[in-house]
Amino acid sequence: MMKRTLAFLLCLCMALTCVSALAEDTTYTALYASEVSTLNYLIASKQWEQTVGANIVDTLVEYDNTGKIIPGLAESWENSDDGLVWTFHLRQGQKWYDYTGAEVAEVTANDFVSALKYILTPEYESAIEYAVEGAYILNADKYYAGEITDFAEVGVKALDDYTVEYTLSAPLPYFLSSLTYGSFLPAYGPLLEELGADFGTSNDKLYYSGAYIMTEYVPQGRHYYVKNANNWDADNIFIEAIERIYNSSASTSAPAMALRGDVDSASLDVSIVDDWKANHGDIVTRSRVTPDYSYFYAFNFNPQYDEAWNPGDWLIAVNNANFRHSIMSAFDRTYAMRAMEPEDPESITQRTITPATFSYVDGTDFSTLPAFDGIEENFFNADAALAYKAAAIEELTEAGVTFPIQMLVSYRSDMADWENESILLKQQIEGVLGTDYVVCVLNPRPTENFLPSTRTGGQYSFMRCNWGADYADPQTFTDPFAIKRDSETGEHIGNTYNKMDLMLESDFAETKEFLTAYYAAVDAAKAEVVDMTVRYNKFAEAEAMLINNAMVIPYYISPADYQVTKLNIFEGEYAPFGISILRFKYQHLSDEFITAKEYEANFAEWQAQAAN
Amino acid sequence: MASYLAKRLLRSILTLFIILTVVFILVRQMPIEGYFPNYEKMTEEQIRNGIHQMGLDQPIFVQLGNFFKNLILHGDLGTSRIYRNNVAVTEILAPKIPVSIKLGSLSLLLSLLIGLPMGTLMAKYKGHFFDHLGTGFIVLINAVPAAVYYLFIQLYGTELLNVSLLFNANNPKSWILPVFSMSLGNIAYYAMWLRRYMVDESRKDYIMLARIKGVDENSIMFRHIFRNSFVPMVQYIPTSFLNTVIGSIYIESLYSIPGMGGLLVDVIKRQDNTMVQGIVLLYACVGVIGLILGDLLMVLMDPRISFTKKGGDR
Amino acid sequence: MPLIKHPKIESLEQHVSESLKQQLSDEQLFSFADFDEAEVERTGLSNYSYWGSTLRAFAHNRLAMLLLLVMLLIVIFTFIQPYLPGQFDAFLVSNNEMGLPLRNQPPDSVHWLGTNSIGQDLWAQLWSGTRTSLFIGICVAFIEAFVGILMGVMWGYLRKLDFIFTEIYNVLDNIPTTIVLILVSFILRPGVGTIIFAMSITGWIGMARFVRNQVLIIRDRDYNVASRCLGTSTWRIIMKNLLPYLVSVIMLRMALSIPGAIGSEVFITYIGLGLPATIPSLGNLINRGRELMMSPSLRYQLIYPTIILSIVTVSFYIVGNAFSDAADPKNHL
Repeated sequence: MMKRTLAFLLCLCMALTCVSALAEDTTYTALYASEVSTLNYLIASKQWEQTVGANIVDTLVEYDNTGKIIPGLAESWENSDDGLVWTFHLRQGQKWYDYTGAEVAEVTANDFVSALKYILTPEYESAIEYAVEGAYILNADKYYAGEITDFAEVGVKALDDYTVEYTLSAPLPYFLSSLTYGSFLPAYGPLLEELGADFGTSNDKLYYSGAYIMTEYVPQGRHYYVKNANNWDADNIFIEAIERIYNSSASTSAPAMALRGDVDSASLDVSIVDDWKANHGDIVTRSRVTPDYSYFYAFNFNPQYDEAWNPGDWLIAVNNANFRHSIMSAFDRTYAMRAMEPEDPESITQRTITPATFSYVDGTDFSTLPAFDGIEENFFNADAALAYKAAAIEELTEAGVTFPIQMLVSYRSDMADWENESILLKQQIEGVLGTDYVVCVLNPRPTENFLPSTRTGGQYSFMRCNWGADYADPQTFTDPFAIKRDSETGEHIGNTYNKMDLMLESDFAETKEFLTAYYAAVDAAKAEVVDMTVRYNKFAEAEAMLINNAMVIPYYISPADYQVTKLNIFEGEYAPFGISILRFKYQHLSDEFITAKEYEANFAEWQAQAAN
Repeated sequence: MASYLAKRLLRSILTLFIILTVVFILVRQMPIEGYFPNYEKMTEEQIRNGIHQMGLDQPIFVQLGNFFKNLILHGDLGTSRIYRNNVAVTEILAPKIPVSIKLGSLSLLLSLLIGLPMGTLMAKYKGHFFDHLGTGFIVLINAVPAAVYYLFIQLYGTELLNVSLLFNANNPKSWILPVFSMSLGNIAYYAMWLRRYMVDESRKDYIMLARIKGVDENSIMFRHIFRNSFVPMVQYIPTSFLNTVIGSIYIESLYSIPGMGGLLVDVIKRQDNTMVQGIVLLYACVGVIGLILGDLLMVLMDPRISFTKKGGDR
Repeated sequence: MPLIKHPKIESLEQHVSESLKQQLSDEQLFSFADFDEAEVERTGLSNYSYWGSTLRAFAHNRLAMLLLLVMLLIVIFTFIQPYLPGQFDAFLVSNNEMGLPLRNQPPDSVHWLGTNSIGQDLWAQLWSGTRTSLFIGICVAFIEAFVGILMGVMWGYLRKLDFIFTEIYNVLDNIPTTIVLILVSFILRPGVGTIIFAMSITGWIGMARFVRNQVLIIRDRDYNVASRCLGTSTWRIIMKNLLPYLVSVIMLRMALSIPGAIGSEVFITYIGLGLPATIPSLGNLINRGRELMMSPSLRYQLIYPTIILSIVTVSFYIVGNAFSDAADPKNHL
């Protein structure tokens, strides 16, 4: 008897080692430099934090690798005729597991209701609550503000165990894409009840139903995920285990470790790319560009900085269209971009604030709609810049401005690439316009609270800003410039970007007139919710106004990282918005680093897929 | 002795109290944005509610009082908000402290084991080859920034030992380089000062007398010179242990060691105020204890010193 | 510590003992003596020159003289470098023939130390950075010395303040300096001023304590008691009798705090609270170089700043030690 047990145990051991040895083969190992502050995917808003949620829980719908919405946890769905009610039918037999892989309960429609309730409970301070309100869920805002206390009035219901119904306060053409964000992930209700704010503080304090189960979580140490073999889409999960190791100097150590074969992927800092191209050029590839973050240069209409830099003169100058145009025309964007993208800056340069390929209407890319025809004329052109300069000097001298005008170019002091970009920008613009006209003052700003203190605090004159899409509709790119008022007094307090709406109450007639027209155009576009073609064209017209008046200078979308990797990144989910792109699902892990040739082939194949 | 120690402890507690109060007030001078992970997208009302929930709208001395009350009654240092959302500070620190202590003690041990013999030999062969060699080493360690030579050691050391660039607690081999790197500074420090004290000591009259009497040279070296020179250094051993732990920031971040080293910098940069308070308290405590231990060690080593003789200056 | 007999003191002692030998009546003995400054100076005349002896002793140390020369050359060179022919502006981004930034250009005849990752001349950056770092170091050394001596002398000399000062010291000394350095540089805006302030704020404490202990030892020495009896003012005693005795160690401390400050700057930059690249310093040059460490062909961007920093550190260290030995009156005999 004893012997038999022993033999059995031995066999078990061997089997286990075999399994783990097999698993070892497709373990994806990589370093990470930013540790998550929580695993609680219902409150986390940082991208590296949402990576956890994206891989351990599934959304109702998701994207395929070409950017098309496909069924996720929901097998099918329908939308009511008025566009207000969405009904989703869940896959049956999906289970929640704890971190050891033990089955806990079934995933039901109630879990979507519980999760939304959690997010809408102010004491949990969810950082992604805004996205629920942004998706127009009925009464979400009122419940969050405490105006109603019965959660049943909020527009989310479990009709039965496998049917979820969302009710909206207004039809939302892009509602399905909203569902791919973290705020619509499910969570096991009884666990939320039990743990409350402690939910997700460690890997044993949440349940898993997605592609992976996090079996190990050592903060500032290691994250270890293993494949959830019972997931409905298990056949598409090719990487058996994911090991992520913390290293705060990952940008330096990851490339070296990749060469020694200790990690399966490493991103290469721009400063070492040349060296890598020269010595290991065959394995240097790029990440996939995603059009979800748009970068643009903004002029500040509410300078709050030190008198030494003459904010008064800046305010007069920035309200002068010729001055703004002189800067815009003098600014050779692709030169400055070389700090970020040394090889092919044209590939990421944008002519519009809404990035190219972000959204389509009738098969036409939003950024190529007729309203944007001729927009190129605003961009770099040294001769035009000098003409604008002459005009601006004349008008501004009259207004009593002293030259040179000091233009405070602010950036985050710990971001070396941005600093380099600012240095290039300064040299380039001053080279065209001359330092007798404008002087760029480089202004490194502290890392902490950078945006609130620098951008919202008005500590810049000309700065690179960025905006990430909150949903897949061009309206999202008007949000940063929307009029902002104090919630109690109703006074203008200015948007947190360029504060241009403050000018609506100023003496700068020209700007005022323009802004009135611009905000009217935006409102008209927002009001159109039925005919998408009309809606998109109206948004395009409004956006073109901003660019043609040199209020905002479109810049680029996040450049693709240089990297070495064993993943075929083109197999991964692709989306303009949401957490789908963070998933490891669908991707294969090669034995060797993807070569530049393979990369090209994969890229071509992906483009062909996308074209279909 | 007991009364001296009591007085000393009392004063240390007062010191800790002052340090904490100052740090507490300092961190509250920082902008409130840091309390909210998504300040940008919050409405003013949400911010007001959040501030109220955290009790930040109370007068600062009430907040301070609450902090001390929780600390003394429950050993509660508060809850982290940004670093690890909603996890108690003590819970975050608990797994990290032993790692750093282990690393720090090993490195201290190694530096004493190498530094002391080195200093002794340098003093013994003053002006000869070994002395010059040792001086060269000391100068080199002091001249080249640690940030640079640590990197070289990591890069070439790991190749030589055939280990991963990163630390792995289960692989004894991966302890070698971090501990060795951390020791270098201390080795140079101990060797330099021991040599200096020993050279000074060896010129004293009583040594000369011992020589004239014909006392065996080794006995002079170790029973008299070394022992008397070591006394003033003993005092700093506990403090240098603390400095090793705090100073391990380079090492811990290079090798990904989950210890205390970079923690303070991390939480300051992420503006997690409760964590900052907790860690400063911890460091200050260890610092104060280090000083007391240093004094105690000195008494143990040198029978001529006693606490009862004179208070006041340390 | 053995008593050093300054010629001045010896003659004073002689003077006193001579007057004691004469059998004088009480009235003669205890009549009020008028203070006469000229008289004091007269007894102090001697052919011994403190600074002369110091310099002589220093000149004996050949290595120190050599390094002093190196040090001076470096300091002078940081100032004249921008005016030499063939130099680039430290901020200028050089473009290649296609009008694009000349990135990571290895050392050649135009760019003597190559260019950095956006095409700025490393040689120019290096000297500009050395200038900044030396400036920081020297400022910190002087502030530390000034505040430290002032506080130390007051602490040691004014008995009433001793208790308060001691208590303050005990508190301040318990705060790890690294923490203060990090906290201060975090709260204030990054810049040269911040860095100098952050380093000086704790640096003077050590100096003050040292000066205080020396003052305590020297204060009640016979010659100072005598000086006080003769009605010499406190200020004068401090300036003439106390400080010269401390010069050697003060100089040593100052010489060492310069490389110390430069090293701290490297540290502060490493943790991301240091100077921005718009103000080149050895700290941020080394820190940027660190990122390139793993790429052998770019490593020159780390090596050169490190070499300069090492030379500066070694020079100050050895020159400081040699000077301190030379300035010690014990070594003048």
